[in-house]
Amino acid sequence: MVVLENVVKTYRSRRGDVKALDDINLQIERGEFVVICGPSGSGKTTLLMTIAGMQRPTRGKVTIGQNNLYALSSRARAKFRAENIGFVFQMFHLIPYLNIIENVALAGGAEVDKSKKAQANELIEQFGLAGRNYHKPPELSAGEKQRTAIARALLNQPKIVLADEPTGNLDPDNAAVVLGYLSEFHHKGGTVIFATHGTEAEQFADRIIHLRNGRIDNPR
Amino acid sequence: MSILSLIYKEIIHRKFNFLLSLLAVMTAVALFISFFTAGKASNRETARLMLSMGFNLHIIPNGTDMNEFLLTGLTDKTMPEGYLKKLASQKGFSYNHLLAILHRKISWRGFEVILTGLAPEVCPPGLKRPPMVNPIESGTAYVGYILADKLGLKEGDTIEIKGKALKIAKCLFEQGGVNDIRIQCHLKDAQEILNLHDQISEIQAVDCLCFVSTNDPVAILRKEIASVLPEARIFQMRPIAMARAQQRQMVRNVFAVIMPLVVVVCGAWIGVLAMMNVRDRQQEIGIMRALGYGSGKVTAMFLGKAAIIGLVGATLGFAIGTALALNFGPDIFKITAKTVIKPELPLLIKSLIFAPIFAAVSSFIPAMIAVTYDPAVTLREE
Repeated sequence: MVVLENVVKTYRSRRGDVKALDDINLQIERGEFVVICGPSGSGKTTLLMTIAGMQRPTRGKVTIGQNNLYALSSRARAKFRAENIGFVFQMFHLIPYLNIIENVALAGGAEVDKSKKAQANELIEQFGLAGRNYHKPPELSAGEKQRTAIARALLNQPKIVLADEPTGNLDPDNAAVVLGYLSEFHHKGGTVIFATHGTEAEQFADRIIHLRNGRIDNPR
Repeated sequence: MSILSLIYKEIIHRKFNFLLSLLAVMTAVALFISFFTAGKASNRETARLMLSMGFNLHIIPNGTDMNEFLLTGLTDKTMPEGYLKKLASQKGFSYNHLLAILHRKISWRGFEVILTGLAPEVCPPGLKRPPMVNPIESGTAYVGYILADKLGLKEGDTIEIKGKALKIAKCLFEQGGVNDIRIQCHLKDAQEILNLHDQISEIQAVDCLCFVSTNDPVAILRKEIASVLPEARIFQMRPIAMARAQQRQMVRNVFAVIMPLVVVVCGAWIGVLAMMNVRDRQQEIGIMRALGYGSGKVTAMFLGKAAIIGLVGATLGFAIGTALALNFGPDIFKITAKTVIKPELPLLIKSLIFAPIFAAVSSFIPAMIAVTYDPAVTLREE
């Protein structure tokens, strides 16, 4: 279970403070598919990064399971993230000098054992990328890049997948494929938190949260 | 995927950045190696040139008429030969070469000649130095050019001076100076000819006080010697001493100025390239942090790359620096290069140790900046 209590995130700049998250209280159950919906600048990405333990809130508490995320050391938080959270981004963020299999295996950490490699191969095959194992990101289509990114996110069998506008750069067919994979992960018991400014994921959602100016519009 | 494998793949991907960084390390190492390797020849060559300038310190008997000494370079006074031993064993007195001399102007076979008796040179204990003056064996003589020419003397002839027979070991080339009318022999022979047993006219020395922090190093030397040799006075050939000091200082300055400059410029060069590399890789760093890679692994990626640049740069720089020294050294240092300039393997080991440290230190700040990048910010950027 993911719990956010009175979470505030303020970005400080010379031109003044910007409140990206304003007193967020949210509870996401294990195995839920939650869509966070809102226009650009509403705080969706900041919310995901805060849940991921990558952006310390200015105030408030984030708990995943029994772990008070920001009470952990940064090393422990990194370990927790590697073991429990998978990421999918709009811009894919694949490493340009690694081939598909290496990009996927990267999630296994610096010391990848044989079983992780086998798992990476399995995922690549499962996502229809088998013939592209040794291709590098610049040689892939947008859809293939995103499928690689999802495979990387799922390698460590995370409990939660955080997806930040993962279909934003894809055509409708590829967007449907990506949503299908995330839905499959959800059906196997995983938690998906999907940030978007569109409506494409609503049909898969257990719950839709509207975010506006850093505040939840419709807490349910 | 191991950090080393990541570093290798990133190097292959961003070859240009790697090659430029490598060039910086190679340049620094190659310059250091070539300077150092050729510098050995430079030191030897400088020493040889300095030797040819002659002695710069004269210790003469106290009652010497300085006017006469400066005009002729001779003194009619003498002091005990034992002064040489006393001086050489004096604690706190630093010197490179000491030479005891007895000389007199004499009339010989219708010529005014200078008879010079030379004792074997004394060097500081434990130091092997080439003699500034060739030692002359007892019973032999070196004859100046004019004397040999006018009197038809040649090597192997025997001459007689005031009843003492001396075999000519060498007839000297024309030197265009007082040496052309000089007969040089062993000190003992000169003492016998002049009937000045155990007496010398002068001790000549190459002093070592050129770099003391005072305007008057001779004053210090005078003070040092006064207590030991009360009947002697010290006279410095200042132009020679200054030339010697300046030449040594110049060689040191070249090393002291150029090498730090090269190190700073190359260090900054590597630092700027590392910074560019970090900026190029912001999102890569962000995703690695998101995947659970900690600060240690991110730092290791950058410092590891720097260390590889250092190792490869040191090896190539050593090869290039040595090749430069071997190729161009002999053109510059014509006398000593052939025997002195050779690959200095201990320098390769030093380079392999210090170049990676140098590259890592230069990349340290960029690596720390990489660690502090906020992945939430970099991953948000499109």
